[in-house]
Amino acid sequence: MSEFEFLRDLPIGQYVPGDSILHRLDPRTRILAATALILALTFTPRTAGLLVGLAVGLAGWALARMYPGPALKGWRAALPFLLILALLQILFQARPEEGRVLYRGGWLVISAGDVWAGINLILRFSAYIFLLGLFSSVISASQITRGSEALLRPLARVGFPVHDFVMVVQVTLRFFPLLAQTAERIAKAQASRGADWNARGNVFRRAQRMAPMIVPLFVTSLRRAENLALAMDARAYGSGPARTSMVELKFGWVDYAAFIVAGAVIALMVLV
Amino acid sequence: MDPLVVFEGVSYSYETGESAAGPRPPALKDVSLTIEAGEFVAVVGANGSGKSTFARLAAALLIPTSGSVRLLGLDTRAAAHRARVHAGVGVVFQFPEDQIVGMTVEEDVAFGPENLGLPPAEIRARVESALREVGLWEHRLRPSNMLSAGQTQRLALAGVLAMRPRCILFDEASTMLDPSGRLGLMAAMRRLNREGITVVFITHFMEEAAEAGRVIAFHQGQVAFDGPPRAIFQDRERLAGLGLDLPPAARAASALRRARLDLPAGIITLPELLAALPPFHARPGAEAAPPGRSGSSRMPDSPNQALIEVRDLEHVYLKGTPLAHRALHGANLTTHAGRAHGLLGKTGSGKSTLMQHLNALLRPQGGRVRVGPFDLNDASVRRRDVVRQVGLVLQNPEAQFFAYYVGDEIAFGPRQFDLDEPLRERVRWAMEWVGLDFETFKDRPLFALSGGERRKVALASILALKPSVLLLDEPTAGLDPRSRIDVLGKLSAMQIQGMTIVLSSHQMEDLALLARELTVYEKGRDVLSGPTEDVFDQVDVLKAHGLEPPAAAQVAQALRSLGWPIRAGITGLRDLESAVVAALRGANERV
Repeated sequence: MSEFEFLRDLPIGQYVPGDSILHRLDPRTRILAATALILALTFTPRTAGLLVGLAVGLAGWALARMYPGPALKGWRAALPFLLILALLQILFQARPEEGRVLYRGGWLVISAGDVWAGINLILRFSAYIFLLGLFSSVISASQITRGSEALLRPLARVGFPVHDFVMVVQVTLRFFPLLAQTAERIAKAQASRGADWNARGNVFRRAQRMAPMIVPLFVTSLRRAENLALAMDARAYGSGPARTSMVELKFGWVDYAAFIVAGAVIALMVLV
Repeated sequence: MDPLVVFEGVSYSYETGESAAGPRPPALKDVSLTIEAGEFVAVVGANGSGKSTFARLAAALLIPTSGSVRLLGLDTRAAAHRARVHAGVGVVFQFPEDQIVGMTVEEDVAFGPENLGLPPAEIRARVESALREVGLWEHRLRPSNMLSAGQTQRLALAGVLAMRPRCILFDEASTMLDPSGRLGLMAAMRRLNREGITVVFITHFMEEAAEAGRVIAFHQGQVAFDGPPRAIFQDRERLAGLGLDLPPAARAASALRRARLDLPAGIITLPELLAALPPFHARPGAEAAPPGRSGSSRMPDSPNQALIEVRDLEHVYLKGTPLAHRALHGANLTTHAGRAHGLLGKTGSGKSTLMQHLNALLRPQGGRVRVGPFDLNDASVRRRDVVRQVGLVLQNPEAQFFAYYVGDEIAFGPRQFDLDEPLRERVRWAMEWVGLDFETFKDRPLFALSGGERRKVALASILALKPSVLLLDEPTAGLDPRSRIDVLGKLSAMQIQGMTIVLSSHQMEDLALLARELTVYEKGRDVLSGPTEDVFDQVDVLKAHGLEPPAAAQVAQALRSLGWPIRAGITGLRDLESAVVAALRGANERV
């Protein structure tokens, strides 16, 4: 492992290209359905609802014809914390008045309600992990931008520059890895000249070490931004009549079916 | 029909008029020229000669301060013409990764047509044909930032092709490419031109300019020459005045003519030269002398222990992430003290990664690295101690400058250590070694320097630590011909004074001049190693590895195959000249 690999610390999209039914859904459908499911998961009060949510998360991976490897990895990493949180929930009496008392000793009172609250917490977060993992595996960053651009389009009528906003987000996403690479090169150049890159030292010392990085990072980023602006200009950005899109977003019967399924699942989660 | 590009009395001044030396002169002064549809034009000139400004005006990215630019018959000043002008004239820029907008390959190609407001079906058709043209169709769904340098360059070209332009400008597009990437780009430009697209390319490489149908040379903001390449490459003195040089083939041809070889006039490309070489006229009864090795330039390997030893080195970037990428896989290197060792190979062959192990920026993940007394597998060996002995000049080092004045930039390294001499003296010493006068340059702002001067500051900033080993990653990349010769001269002086140098370069001429030994890398391992002349003799092997041996080595090989008794191991023009003289003398004596 190298201390110069800043790219390692970037949150990297886990998108896996595929041809499953989930991949073929309109991006807007995927965004709306995922948002609605997450909201339902947050607000459902009952264990049964959470179990439905978790089942939907796992079934989604099967529908996407993918092994939920990344989600399992994340889930395993989060499990100790979930267990600690659940234990705290149980010990510190989330709902002391509820259910049969299971144990009473001194100040400690554990009721069935406490235990269920702990179980619910684990279930809820597990379902989040599987659903969000699934969502980020079946939708690419560019589909998110295209989808949200289409969903935000009504805002353009009240004067919100939807298109420019989405373009800013897209270019920023594009530039993150480049920024990390630039920082890496600068750090290497300075370490080659004796800068003590390893030294931990106090905040003061570390700030001092960062100072000479800032100027070249800005200069390089500005130069790159200027180059990109020139390239966009040369490719007629902002000089044409109205911009069109290569991808036509169109709701098909699969999307309507997906909405019905998602609606049914959400109703089930909240009402069961 | 109107000519494609018309400049009429065009001048341009950048708005930021201030500089250390008062108001800046205009970048372009009263330029008038015409480019017709279907032409294949090279634009050359030293750094700061105005050729980039010309390209930006010709792409309607800048509007002239005075005079007028008409593209496809449309005045670039009128905003209403912009979409049609940008669709008609496309640009491929120098840094490919800076011109990619889309997050996936196909989305990036679609960006231009989307801006033109074309219907989706038409956009998809254009994206497909552009990606097929550059050979990236199979990669259309890949993230655009996970392509190699050559692929990124092709993606940039596809983005322009999808606009269906009538003219494409290449603004130093080959600078960042390795030799095979450059040959590929050149072939693509020729193919596009045959298909009817007007191609205008700006270049520092004279061998590329030699292949154009017309060369326009800029000097101090004005057109200093405009005509066929044969005409500009006739006059070496005049070229030098413009900060330019002859193409390597023309230099080889004049060396051969000095050796009294009969060659037609006006040879400027290597294929022309190789085709014009005469067969060796062995007189009846006379046999060609055996092409034995002269042996004079070769010394037995020194018996003492190697200074740098790399064995079976392994390195994977971003190990354990989805972006993991193997850079080195069993790489070796052995170098002796006081010698210059060249590393060559295509982009991505692992040269830079290997170099970064030699000054402890990276530590071996597998294999062993020893540099002098430092065992870099030993975690207790501190990088700070290594970098004082082993100086690394990274590729494009100017991008990492952070000081305002030359003196401060060079003083950064020495300031990190307790020196036994005053800082000022150390900076003076380093500057003088690279040929920058201390009093003249120490208080100059870095941005006011020329490309070659900036490269020398980068060199001095490493030398200021008084290392005994100097590692140079592409030391002449991006320099114009005059600055390149200047920097090479300084490096060769250092080498003569006993500095151990390890350098990587895509410029075989540089390696032939500086390096005594070469190692060729491919896909992270060494595939060929030996004395420079032996490696460059293997013309066909090198070509198979995507490398282009220096012109002298290629000419020597061609002469041998024509029956000339030319010894093996020729890498420079002087050697070539004397070998031809000797062969001719031998032939005459036998008659």
